[in-house]
Amino acid sequence: MNATPPFALGTGVTLGYGHQVALAASDFTIPAQGVTAIIGPNGSGKSTLLNALAGILPVMGGTLSVLGGPPGRRGVTSYVMQSPAFPTGTPITVGEAVAMGLYSDLGWFRRPRARDRARVQEAMERLDVTALAGRHLDELSGGQRQRVYVAQGITQRHQMLLLDEPLTGLDLVSMRTIDAIIHAERERGHGVVLTTHDLDEARAADWVLLTGGRVLAAGPPDEVLTREHVEKAYGLGALHPATTDLLDDPACPPHRPDSTPDMAHGNRPRGYGPRQPPQGMRRSPSRGLMLPWCGVFTLVR
Amino acid sequence: MEWWIEPFLLGFQQRALIGGMVAAATCSVVGVWLVLRGMSFFGDAFVHGVLPGIAAGVIFGFSPFLGAAIAALVMVAGIELIHRQTSLKEDTAIGLLFVGMMALGVALISKSRSYTGSLTSILFGDIFGVDESTVVSMSVLGVIVVAGSLVLYRPLLALAFSSAKAQTLGMNPRFTHAALLVLIATAVIGSFQAVGTLLVFGLLVGPPATAALLARTVPQMFLTSVVLAAFAVWLGLTLSYHWGTAGSATMALVSIAVFFLTLTVRRTASWLAARPAQEVHA
Repeated sequence: MNATPPFALGTGVTLGYGHQVALAASDFTIPAQGVTAIIGPNGSGKSTLLNALAGILPVMGGTLSVLGGPPGRRGVTSYVMQSPAFPTGTPITVGEAVAMGLYSDLGWFRRPRARDRARVQEAMERLDVTALAGRHLDELSGGQRQRVYVAQGITQRHQMLLLDEPLTGLDLVSMRTIDAIIHAERERGHGVVLTTHDLDEARAADWVLLTGGRVLAAGPPDEVLTREHVEKAYGLGALHPATTDLLDDPACPPHRPDSTPDMAHGNRPRGYGPRQPPQGMRRSPSRGLMLPWCGVFTLVR
Repeated sequence: MEWWIEPFLLGFQQRALIGGMVAAATCSVVGVWLVLRGMSFFGDAFVHGVLPGIAAGVIFGFSPFLGAAIAALVMVAGIELIHRQTSLKEDTAIGLLFVGMMALGVALISKSRSYTGSLTSILFGDIFGVDESTVVSMSVLGVIVVAGSLVLYRPLLALAFSSAKAQTLGMNPRFTHAALLVLIATAVIGSFQAVGTLLVFGLLVGPPATAALLARTVPQMFLTSVVLAAFAVWLGLTLSYHWGTAGSATMALVSIAVFFLTLTVRRTASWLAARPAQEVHA
């Protein structure tokens, strides 16, 4: 990972909207390969940071370089926003929405060639939305719509895929499908940066940024997701002298990198590393989303 | 049969029909983007806000097109100023400019000698006063608006989807938004003589809103919208001839009536389609 330049290099990066600072001066590195998870409580600046990496939010202070240049260059990032609030009733089909990913390369006028259409087709197949191609976006379930947005994202030419809470609140099928895309992107040598509320998801990543009004820590999950850091991010340290070990919590099922999927305990396989063959249900959605709270509640107790 | 032909026998009636059709095509195409962008209120205010420019043009003897263009610029600049200087919501800014510009227009016209005549024709249009040179200038502006609406298809579709997404796709949402404002202003300037500033909105939002109920894609929405607008102009003129009602008001009424008719038909159709399924459940 040291051979390639990092995806993002931030020095004193300050981000915000208007005069409101959302992320105070932060230093961080994000590698160009592998999966990077940005985790932190609500309003901690996760999505703000993603917006800056995608080049749609200019930095207020400091410098942020993306693959050695300014953010937002064509062909570098593809950004899947968290369920963009598109106006309902827009007569746009799934096929058109996915093909919109080609706009960055085609510009205003250039007609898609056979190769481009094949790209759209492949993206739809990988996200299992081909059968929905003629449907309208507002005729879909939340999970189906999220799959369409990810298909749009992978259709757009990119080296880094940015995903804002890609797995939050999804049905099991959509979660597994998008999870598989994250694995596949990683194996293709693309980088993935995602935001999450799920400590488990963050632990499975190759690199983690912990946010709490600024980037509190960045590095491999073992170094970042320490009890001390997480308490700081979630503001629990001062309230509760910790007597329980967050990472080895008796109230939560154990998560070990090499453990095999265990249906009975709702465990999920660990890591975004080389993909294991699917073995039944990979994770239960409610379980997955509750896990971080499991840890937090234990601390509170 | 005569009932249908009679309203268009005379030259001025035919010019009214042609002028109305040009206005219909112009407004209904750019109106699709107005509706998809959710800018109906802005469009409404914008349409009325050009009034003082047109009034000044008529009174002081310069081109009302130029006057309307200046008024449109003042309007946008005023909204932008309020937006930047205060934390008021955009609709408040639009409302302030809307009433301010409209009042200025009425005040200007009231100073002129033929107060009621020119006010009525500016506000409500004078479709039977459309002459050949007006038809030509309307057509030129119409071609610009339709061409612009099609050229900007991808940026506007991406913008209708989400402004942030449009930006990540390199579609330049700020420029696109400004270009859409220019196109709307151009459509209003091109159409006000035929349908009036107050009622041009009937063609700008009525047919596209109806088309949104029927079309499954944006190109379909364009086609449906144009056909509906042309129908509204033709039926409106026919009815106004027989009933002796104002031409542009009748066209606007038809366009809105068609919307509610379409809504009713669609609702009834989906209710009928859903009924057997409910009976099975019961």
